[in-house]
Order: sequence, then structure tokens, then C-alpha cells
Amino acid sequence: MNKRLVLKILGATLLIEAATMLPSYVVALVYHDPGDGEALLKTILIMVFLGLPMWFLAKPRESNLRAREGFVIVALAWLGLSGFGALPFVFSGYLPNYIDALFEAVSGFTTTGATVVTNFEHYPHGVMFWRSFTHWIGGMGVLVLTLALLPQMTGRTSHLVRAESPGPSLSKIVPKMGDSAKILYLIYAALTALQFAVLLLAGMNPYDAAIHTFGTAGTGGFSNYGASIAAFHSPLIEWIITFFMVLFGINFALFYRAITGDWRDALRSEELHWYLGIYGTATIFSTMLLLPRYHGFWEALRYGSFQVASVMSTTGYATADFNLWPVAVKMVLLLVMIVGGCAGSTAGGIKVVRTALLFKLGRREIRHTFQPRKVQVVRFEGKGVEEGMLSQVAMFFCVYVLMLLLGAFAISLEGRFDVETNLTAALTCLSNVGPGLGAVGPVENFAGYGPFAKLVLSLLMLAGRLELFPILALFHPAIWRKS
Amino acid sequence: MRILVVGDGKVGHVLAEHLTREGHNVVIVDIDEEALQRSEDTLDVMCIRGNGANAKTLIDAGAQKADIIIAATASDETNMLCCLVAKRLGTQYAIARIRDPEYNESLNLLRHELDIDMAINPERATAQEISRLLRFPFANNIESFARGRVEMVEFRAQEHDAVVGRPLREIAAKVHGIPQVLYAAVERDGSVIIPGGDFVIEPGDRVHVAADVVTITEYFRFLGKNSLRVKDVMILGGGRIGYYLAKMIAPMGVHVSLIEINEKKANRLSEALPDVNVIYGDGTDQELLEQEGLTQMDAFIALCDRDEENLMTGLFAARQGVPKVVVKNNRVAYADIISSMGLDSIVSPKSITCAHILRYVRARVNGGGTKIEKLYRLMDGKAEALEFVARPNDSYIGVPLRELHKRPNTLVAVIVRAGRVIVPFGNDHIEAGDNVVIIACESGIGDLNEVIRK
Repeated sequence: MNKRLVLKILGATLLIEAATMLPSYVVALVYHDPGDGEALLKTILIMVFLGLPMWFLAKPRESNLRAREGFVIVALAWLGLSGFGALPFVFSGYLPNYIDALFEAVSGFTTTGATVVTNFEHYPHGVMFWRSFTHWIGGMGVLVLTLALLPQMTGRTSHLVRAESPGPSLSKIVPKMGDSAKILYLIYAALTALQFAVLLLAGMNPYDAAIHTFGTAGTGGFSNYGASIAAFHSPLIEWIITFFMVLFGINFALFYRAITGDWRDALRSEELHWYLGIYGTATIFSTMLLLPRYHGFWEALRYGSFQVASVMSTTGYATADFNLWPVAVKMVLLLVMIVGGCAGSTAGGIKVVRTALLFKLGRREIRHTFQPRKVQVVRFEGKGVEEGMLSQVAMFFCVYVLMLLLGAFAISLEGRFDVETNLTAALTCLSNVGPGLGAVGPVENFAGYGPFAKLVLSLLMLAGRLELFPILALFHPAIWRKS
Repeated sequence: MRILVVGDGKVGHVLAEHLTREGHNVVIVDIDEEALQRSEDTLDVMCIRGNGANAKTLIDAGAQKADIIIAATASDETNMLCCLVAKRLGTQYAIARIRDPEYNESLNLLRHELDIDMAINPERATAQEISRLLRFPFANNIESFARGRVEMVEFRAQEHDAVVGRPLREIAAKVHGIPQVLYAAVERDGSVIIPGGDFVIEPGDRVHVAADVVTITEYFRFLGKNSLRVKDVMILGGGRIGYYLAKMIAPMGVHVSLIEINEKKANRLSEALPDVNVIYGDGTDQELLEQEGLTQMDAFIALCDRDEENLMTGLFAARQGVPKVVVKNNRVAYADIISSMGLDSIVSPKSITCAHILRYVRARVNGGGTKIEKLYRLMDGKAEALEFVARPNDSYIGVPLRELHKRPNTLVAVIVRAGRVIVPFGNDHIEAGDNVVIIACESGIGDLNEVIRK
């Protein structure tokens, strides 16, 4: 373990987090809520005082980053981010209990959107802005941002990005990792700006528009209203947010391909077809079942498409309490919750590409039972998929389910709520969605859980965002041994 | 620049490593997932899996906007096809590794018809390198600059040499009659030093000196090293390098004995090389070597497939008193160890291939500044010699060297002005159009302005 190098890069991420807190501080200065600006400024100073010596004084003997360091850096960076990102909630007195604040910060950075906040009316504007801004940072990734901003971090940085960016394989869009990171953030920022402008035109005030744009772009789902998007009573805003939720669940590499090359080529992506196919099917199915509850097809479609988009892109906004919907629709929502968005997007879940590969793998296995000598190569995006990758995907799914079950078991040790609530709470956190069913439904929150369950759920959220293994690797003793 | 490297073998990987370090955008294409995985883990490159001769793969890799394609797969035909397709797609320059002697004869035709800008034959290039070493047997390594006007020679300093044991600045005054040369770089214990005036050469140092051709010859005559002429050479291993080498040096009046273990191959070599004394036998057999007159040889060249055999027979030949021993070694990591055992002349076809290709690529870099004319990797890549042409509007023009800001660990070695070679001192200056040779202990310099400025 190259501890000095790990320390140096962690220092850099702390400094970058301090920088990303500055916009929230500016917002706090504008609104002058009591204790708001102070809480943010105090956190910024703490991070700068810790980060500066780490970045400047740590002198790594060699600058080579191996897989081991990559994993540890990513996992520790995310733990650190959340740990320090929670401080403004505590300092401002908004969430005085540190575990509550940590849960909120983890939920923000992992773009989950599960909340323990109950007092939406008297929030300090700056801290609330920070709460949503963590979605935006966490969506694309902090280490990707670090790579985009620090040109001297070259060399073997692929391990960092591989651990942080979602999807089974790392796909660079240009040869240099630093350039890739810059392009991704540029696309991300441009789409974010676009949504902000559109929401302004639709009649939102700038503060609400910013909060909900961050929530959508990072596919997080924090709102500054207890009723989420339903609070606006505006079909137009609902349609806009539906569109952008679907958009941010798409692989960003496709946007790059569409801009630089042939947009038709981008439309031919097999993962995109699967994504839109699953989304479309789930939407039509839900709409049909919702017809009796709403006035006419269009209203049913409006509610159905919004909710499916919200859950599948793992955003977690709500326009209706889907806890009260027919059980078949609830099951559909649970299924797309597991699937999630595309690889290389800001969404969570096991990702569409893995779902597609699991499906093809299953089909192949069935055929294999009655035609064992048939050679079957699983194809995706027009190319044969390596066997190693396939078993990786299958393994990922197993671990995912195992974590889900063990997580649900762990939180049920507190003895609260029913099976439905605990299972969906674990799933919604692992998939980075936000709301679940039962007592953690869209109009409820996670405040009812005790501190132990909140810590377990925070760990599930981090594991889900970093695609399980970086967080699990931290618990493996061999990673800390001398190599 | 955007550079495609097709073939992720040893040469491809090393090339990609150097090119990314120099700031280029490198895309590697190969069929083997495992090799690509290794490159992706260790280098900042993009990897595309597929056949490099397939247009679709090349389009995926960005051949339409690429500046250079380097085809270094195991197959000559694939390499040629890669270049052909990439060129048609819009790649600017194509470099192919073509090693089959059959193609070598019609190489010019092939290059012209397939529109390949540079064809490199690793074995032939290695043979050329060895033949140069044989012409100056006292040197471990020779590089020429400014169209052959300047030569830089590497030799190992020995105890009785007149230059050993006194500071460099005193050599001219204390050693009567020694020709003035530039002491460009010294390798000691595996690290490279660019010596200042107070530097003292010790026995065992590998010293690089540079001067014009006449002076350098006089210098070595003064040191008593130039008396040897290679007349009898024994080559071990009749592979491609051995074949090319024998073919190159036999017409120069050198008696060549070529030992080959495979009977059929030996017969074919004997047919193709009538002037060469082809011997059928096992070259690692010491008795055979002695029987064939190893002790009378002026040079012994070990070119077997296995590095270990080359090393052992090379050491044996050196022990038997052969004055010049050259061994082939493919594992770069072992070069230091071999050199510490007293074998100084080590050739590696892979390194030579890389060096040739890098030299070509660097010459195509037009960063708006001074273009590199030539690049030489010295001492297994630990140092580089770069040749630039000074441009009229640069800040260093006309300013005495002592007043310029110089990048650390670099040296202005030689200035060539209107065919005249100047070994520069503090009062000398650079004029527009001069050829300037720089020695640097680091790689990645692409512009003379990075080295000196006012």
C-alpha cells in the first residue's frame, strides 16, 4: 500500500470538496439565514486546513497507482466526503445528531435522495443548497472531477475512474483519462444548465429550479418540499423533469458520440435500446393499471411515466404516493429499481447493460441444458462478450442480492417496521433511488429508523454508488497488508 | 497528436508508453483482450479490441482523424494491410514493421504502392547497428548527428586512460596534445550524469564524447584505442540478424564465420552467402568455438534466440580474449546486469525498433516551436540526444550561452554552423539556422525553447 500517495490524493479531494462548497456559501450570504453561512464557512476552513498539508506535505516515493490503491482511495474518498459533507447540517443545527447528518450527506453524494429531514419549512437556504449540490457532485464522481481539474495527476489513473464510474467495463471516450473527465463534466454541466433554464421558463423561482436541477442531473431526488415535485402542481414541470430524468439515465459517452460524430450511430447503441425498451414497457404497463384511478389516459400516463422514470433513473422524485397504487405497479417499480440506468450515466441500480447480459446469459444457460454442444457466444453492442466479463456480471448480481438481503436483515435487528418496509429500504438505498414502500414510501422518510439502521443504510448507499467492490474491499484484511 | 498503435506486443506497449509520456493521444488496437487489459491498467491510453486490418475497427479507433498509424503486429501482411486501410481512411502517416527478408528485396516497391511512409525491419536495423559497432570496435555505441558531421561515441574509461582521475577543466592543460572534445554524459553505477568542469572520470565509467569526425578519430588515436581493426568476426546464430549482418560486412573484406545449429538452415545460408564461412554445429559448445579459432577472432557476436545463451557464450568469448564482444539481449531490465559483468555492447532489436519509430514520430511533431530533427536514445533510454534547427525568432538567438537560462540536467553539446562543428563554451552563441545538439537526462523535450531561453 502506497500510503503517502493515498494521503496526497485524499488531500486533493478534500480541497476540491471545499471548493465545491463555495457556491452554497454564496447562496447563504444572499439569504442571510441565521447560522447558515457560518456552518458552511466553518466546514470549508476545516477541510482546507486538513487538505492543504495532505496535498503538499505527502511526498509519495513512487507515483504509480495500482488497483489496490485505486480501490482504497475511492472508498476512503467517498467516506471522507460524506463525513465532512455532513458537518454543515450539524453546525447549522438543522440536523443536530451527527448520524442523521451523515445519513443525509451519504444519501446526497451517492445520489440516493433518501432523507431524514422532517422540518422542510424552516430550512437554512445555504445548507439546503449544499444538500442538493452534493447530488450534482456525486452524480459524475468526485475523483473524476479531481482528474478533470488536476492535470498533473496522470499515469495510472484508470483504477480511480474504474472504481468510481458505473458500469461493468471502463469505456474512455478519448485516449487521455484527464481529457475524458473534462469532456464528461462539460457535457454534464451543459445539460444541467439546459434543464435549469427550461425550469426557469416553466415558472420555477431560481432557487427551486437549482435545487431540482441538481436533484435530476445527479439522479438524486432531494427536494426542498416535503411533497417533492407534487408541491408545484404543474403538469408542465412534471413533463420537463420526466424528460430530464430519462436523459440523465443515458450513458454520457453516447452524448459525446452524438455531438462529435454521427448521432444516428449513437442511436444504434444496444444498451440505449434496452433502456428505452424497459422504460417504455414499464410505463405503458403502469399507465394501463393506473387508468381507473385517474381522469383519462393522459393523466395516467403523466403519473405513470413520471414515476417509472423517477425510479428507473434512480432519482426518487414523486408526484403521487405510489404506496397507494395497485400492487402490480408497485412490483414494476421495484423491478426497474433493481435495473437502474445505463452504465456511464449518473444513475444507480445494477445498470441496464448488466441486466441485458444477465438476460442473455440466462437464455444461453437454458439452451445449453438441451443442446449442450452448441457454441454460444453472448453478443452485446455487436461484439462478442468475454467469458470473464460474463461471470463478473453474474457475480455482481449475486453479491448485489446478498447485500440486499443481509442489509434488510441488519436493519430489521432494530425491531421496527415490517418486512416490506425493511426490504424496500435496503433496496432503495443499494440502488440509490430514495423512496421505498411501506413506512419509507414517497411521502414518508427515514427518520423512523434508529442510528444503527441509518449507518447500515449509509453503507449500502455507498456500496451501491461505488458498485459494491471498492467498499467491500475495505473490509478485506489483505488490502491493508504490505504488498 | 493522435497515434494509433496496432499490435500490443512488447514493441507496441513500449511505444505507447513513450508516446503517452510525451503527451500524445494514443489508441492501441489488438485482438488479445489480456494484452489490452495490461496496457489499460498501466498506461493512459484508449484500447480497442479487434483486428487492426479491419476498416471498422480502425474507424472505431479514430483512424479518420489520426496523424500516425504504427503497425507492429507479429505479421508483416497484417501490418501492411493496416497501413493501407488506415491511409485510405485518412490517417496522415503510416509506419509498418516488415521483417521478412523476402519482402525486404522489394521493399521500395511495396512502400510506394502501399503508401507506407516508414518501413522498419528490426533485424536489419539491428544488423546495421552491429556493423557500425564493428567499424569502431573501441566504442560501445556511436551516434552521428548533423548529417554525419558530428559523432558521439561511448567508451568505457580504463585505469591507464589519460582522461581518468583529473577534473575535466584541467584535461586540456595537463594532458599535452589531447584533441578537444565535449564530455557529453557519463554513466556510473546505472545512473546518468551530465558532467560539469569539476567532474572527475573514474575507471569503469561509460563516457560519451562528442566532436566532429576528424577530431574524434584523433582523440581516440591519442588515447591509444584506435589501433584495432576488425578483420575476423565470428557470428553465433544464423537467424535473420546474422544473415543481414554477414551480408553487410562480408563485402567490406571482413572474414566472417557463421555458426548455425540447424543443418538445413546452415545449407541455405551457405548457398545465399558464398563469401561466408558457414559452420554447422552447436555454438554453445566451447570446444567447437575453440576449434573454429575463437581466440584469433577480433569480434564475437552472439545472436541466438535465447538471451541466456548469448550472455554465457559472450562471457566465454570475452574470457578467451576476444577484444570485441556484442550480445543480443531482448530483456531491457537485464541490460544493467549484463553491462556490470563487463559486456558493454548489447543490442536489442526491440529497443532499436522503438528508437527508430520514436525518432520518426518526433520529427513529425509540429508544436509550433522548433522541430526535432533527430532523436537518439542513449544508455538504454536513460538519456537522450536531440538535434534541433535554431529558428530566427527564438529568444536565445545571438545571446552568449553563459547568459541563457538553461533547463537543469541538460547540455548544449554541439553547434553546427554552415558545416563547421563548434564544441560550445560560455562565450559561444547560437545563430538562426544552426543545428544544435542537446543532451538531456529526461525524455519528452520537444522544443529547443524548453531547454534554453533568455
